[in-house]
Amino acid sequence: MNIRNTILTAAIVSAILFSAPSSEPAAPAKKTKPAPTAQKRVPAQKIDVPFRVYTLKNGLKVILSEDHTAPTYSLNVTYDVGSRNEPPGMTGFAHLFEHMMFQGSENVGKGEHFIVISNNGGRMNGTTNADRTNYFETLPKNQLELGLFLEADRMRALSVTQENFENQRRTVQEERRQNYDNRAYGKTGEVLLDLAYDNFAYKHSTIGSMEDLDRASVDDARRFFKTYYTPNNAVLSLVGDFDSAEALTLIKKYFEAIPAGAPIPPVDMIEPPQKAERRKTIEDPFAQTPRIDIVYKIPRGNTPDWYALDVLGDVMSAGDSSRLYQLLVKDKEVATGVSAGPDERRGPALFYLSIFARPGTDLAAIEKLVYDEIERVKTGRVAAWELEKVRMQSRRQRAQGLYSTQSRANQLSYYAVYFNDPNLVNTVEAKIEKVMPADLQRVARTYLKPSNRTVLTTMPKSAAGASAK
Amino acid sequence: MKIIKRLLNGSAALLLLMSPAARLYAQDAAATPLSKVERKNKAPLSKEVLDVKLKRPIERKLSNGITVLILEDHRFPIVTTEFHMRGAGALFEPEKLKGLAAVTAEMLHEGTKTRTSKQIAEEMDRLGASLWASSGFGSLEAGFGASGLKDNFDAWFGLAMDVLLNPSFPEVELNRMKERIKVKLRQQRSSPGFLADERFSQAVYGAHPAATVSATPESVDALTPEALALWHRDRYDPARTILGIAGDVRADEIVPKLEKWLAKWPRRNVDAALPPNPTPVAARKIFLIDRPDSVQTTVALGNIAIDRRSDDYIPMVVMNQILGGGSAARLFLNLREEKGYTYGVYSSFSAGEYPGPWRAGGNMRTEVTAGAFKEFFYEFRRVRDEKAPAAELEEAKRSVVANFALALEQPARVLGFAMTRKIFGLPDDYWDTYPAKVMAVSAEDVERVARKYLNPETAQIVAVGDARKIKPVLEQYGAVEVYDNSGKVVAAPAAADVKQIQ
Repeated sequence: MNIRNTILTAAIVSAILFSAPSSEPAAPAKKTKPAPTAQKRVPAQKIDVPFRVYTLKNGLKVILSEDHTAPTYSLNVTYDVGSRNEPPGMTGFAHLFEHMMFQGSENVGKGEHFIVISNNGGRMNGTTNADRTNYFETLPKNQLELGLFLEADRMRALSVTQENFENQRRTVQEERRQNYDNRAYGKTGEVLLDLAYDNFAYKHSTIGSMEDLDRASVDDARRFFKTYYTPNNAVLSLVGDFDSAEALTLIKKYFEAIPAGAPIPPVDMIEPPQKAERRKTIEDPFAQTPRIDIVYKIPRGNTPDWYALDVLGDVMSAGDSSRLYQLLVKDKEVATGVSAGPDERRGPALFYLSIFARPGTDLAAIEKLVYDEIERVKTGRVAAWELEKVRMQSRRQRAQGLYSTQSRANQLSYYAVYFNDPNLVNTVEAKIEKVMPADLQRVARTYLKPSNRTVLTTMPKSAAGASAK
Repeated sequence: MKIIKRLLNGSAALLLLMSPAARLYAQDAAATPLSKVERKNKAPLSKEVLDVKLKRPIERKLSNGITVLILEDHRFPIVTTEFHMRGAGALFEPEKLKGLAAVTAEMLHEGTKTRTSKQIAEEMDRLGASLWASSGFGSLEAGFGASGLKDNFDAWFGLAMDVLLNPSFPEVELNRMKERIKVKLRQQRSSPGFLADERFSQAVYGAHPAATVSATPESVDALTPEALALWHRDRYDPARTILGIAGDVRADEIVPKLEKWLAKWPRRNVDAALPPNPTPVAARKIFLIDRPDSVQTTVALGNIAIDRRSDDYIPMVVMNQILGGGSAARLFLNLREEKGYTYGVYSSFSAGEYPGPWRAGGNMRTEVTAGAFKEFFYEFRRVRDEKAPAAELEEAKRSVVANFALALEQPARVLGFAMTRKIFGLPDDYWDTYPAKVMAVSAEDVERVARKYLNPETAQIVAVGDARKIKPVLEQYGAVEVYDNSGKVVAAPAAADVKQIQ
């Protein structure tokens, strides 16, 4: 279900450096699920991503994974900093700073990063979310040194000028307008986070507010660079057609002299338990039809309960045979689309249910249908075939995702930064497979209860100022 | 939203590269930048461009006329299949039944002679496989695809063939789908991108059927199970079908199976004659779609240019790469990196069976709409009137050629190249010689195609935004026709505080 991915992405990841017309969708971000390893029905061919981890003297973690099937490589550098590190008054800064990383460094001019990657047949981008910031490029194999040089030069000696900062402040503000302020449901995700979370770390959006973006200064950027963009706060993953020994020599040449920095300031991620349901209704000047978002607070990613909730999300909304699609879209005809599932976070995460309602339907009745379905999970059993289906879909999605070296490099860095375990790229499969019907029942009972939920309704703006005039 | 959004042709769509635009006033100069792009030329580069050979798929013809292209790739246990059925596309549907081709395609999996919609969904999901079907507006063909794991290929592909060949188009499912589509037709009217596409296509294609980018509630209401069944019976023709298969299969094993599964698909006699080609609009027209709460202006500029077989295709690829093909192109570096007007600005061109438009555009902050137009026309003028500097030209060509290596990661992309060759009847060695042809494009070629196609005086101008604020800006370029978001011409709203506009 595309809808689902779109919604989750809007909510979690935010803000990529640019959305080029022909580039591949960025990053795996959400999750990579697996297949049933030794399961009876499918003689699953084991797919392993082999890799080795090295740590340079300055603390930079390096992950190498050779694959000679195509004459290309992908490089991913992920920094352990995201919008969760932003204090009040500086929302949007981590992402604005991501843009500054393309504005030149000691040996690379402003815009030159784009130019040299593109002119040598490559692709690149950067993305920021609440929990990390990443930079990645894919290039033909003969340009290995180019990618390493570009990443090292900006990690070592970023150049931040007032003019470039001003330019990117405006670019990011246009990004905000394009993706949030000028589109239907653009603000829904932001309002939802603000309503559901109490801790500021996740309460604010990654794109940030216009006011805070206006307030950001070059000095802030220099401080931010010094604090977070240190080799000991980064993971570099390299996947593709290279020789590991040679690659490691080059990586040392370019990166090892970059001085280590102080440990980064810890972030308070403690989220007080929610005691009662929260509700809000907003008007959207561009929405034509209502949308209901229901979220529940759940544990961080890479925990048994999170994996169970991930499977539950798929049972609810992945594919046309899923429970909520059949119920809301097909049988009752009260919605045009529905999505369900958790976002994966390093701290307290959310389980999302998003329903695009048909115009003129009783929204309370739709909510009730959703809650009744959740009750059925709590009191009944999810059928074996529903679980088997999720496993098959996961296995296939995973295999499909592995063709791309970029996707593999991004996953290795992602798991290393999020959970200090890059091997999750191979083992997450088994974790999903361990999920049993009783687990779904348990997590539904534990987390999907009224006192733990937040409900946001987005309504089309009433006729007066609406675009339908 | 498959139905509604214009998908470009399933196949010709793959070819949507990007292209550039026109000029207005030769005296336009670029405005002062906020910050300057700079080259230090210190990055270590390999001078070599990898000589990449795209693997050619194995080609077979089935007894009922289907052309099959098989690209074996055994890295991962995945198989992807794609049918391109020429003659079954929206381009040929009757005016009153807009959406017929797309809805027929999307209804395939809503029931067969032996399976209900729900059974199909459950079986497909249990097999971990997926189906898609669509026909984009303006397309000659309907597309149908299925993909899944190798382990249970026979099961899911067999099911997919039941869906493709034996659909029953149940009335109850059609009625449900019609209701869902009508909601989406309404939702898309809030999207500035859709509103720009709709008006731009009307502007450049005129009377050609590709002018349509969406069904209407009335045309959707007019669809019946009988109309869908007839469309399927008469227009899904194996002799005009190309089937592409990529992934973990063995050609010799799969072809006999295909014969078995597809043998009962009878040939048809499809009239797939094309309407007269669209031609470039001779005079500039300016269209403003009023979207009152907009905080940006969504811009599209362009006109009809070339088809896929044109000799100018490769020079256009290079020219577009220079003008607006990505983040290293002139439009991006100027309007974003130097001026800070936008998050992204690009150019492209659509070249399929019939000539399609070149187009440039992006979303600009409302207050800089005037500045953005000025820069667009400045860049159109520059690419027409000044020879591209040798270094920039070399880099643009290198960019196109070197990018081939990246395609090798994805078997579906390599297959896509072969499908394009087949669909347009390009020579067998087309992709082998393509890099050399790209490298042979000269500065004169670039200038020539820019002058031939990117005429700023006749480019159609579309802007979606707050009419009160941007109408005076557009009027500097000529008479402005104002539309509302339902697509109707309206009287212009009163102009707002003009001071806000630069």
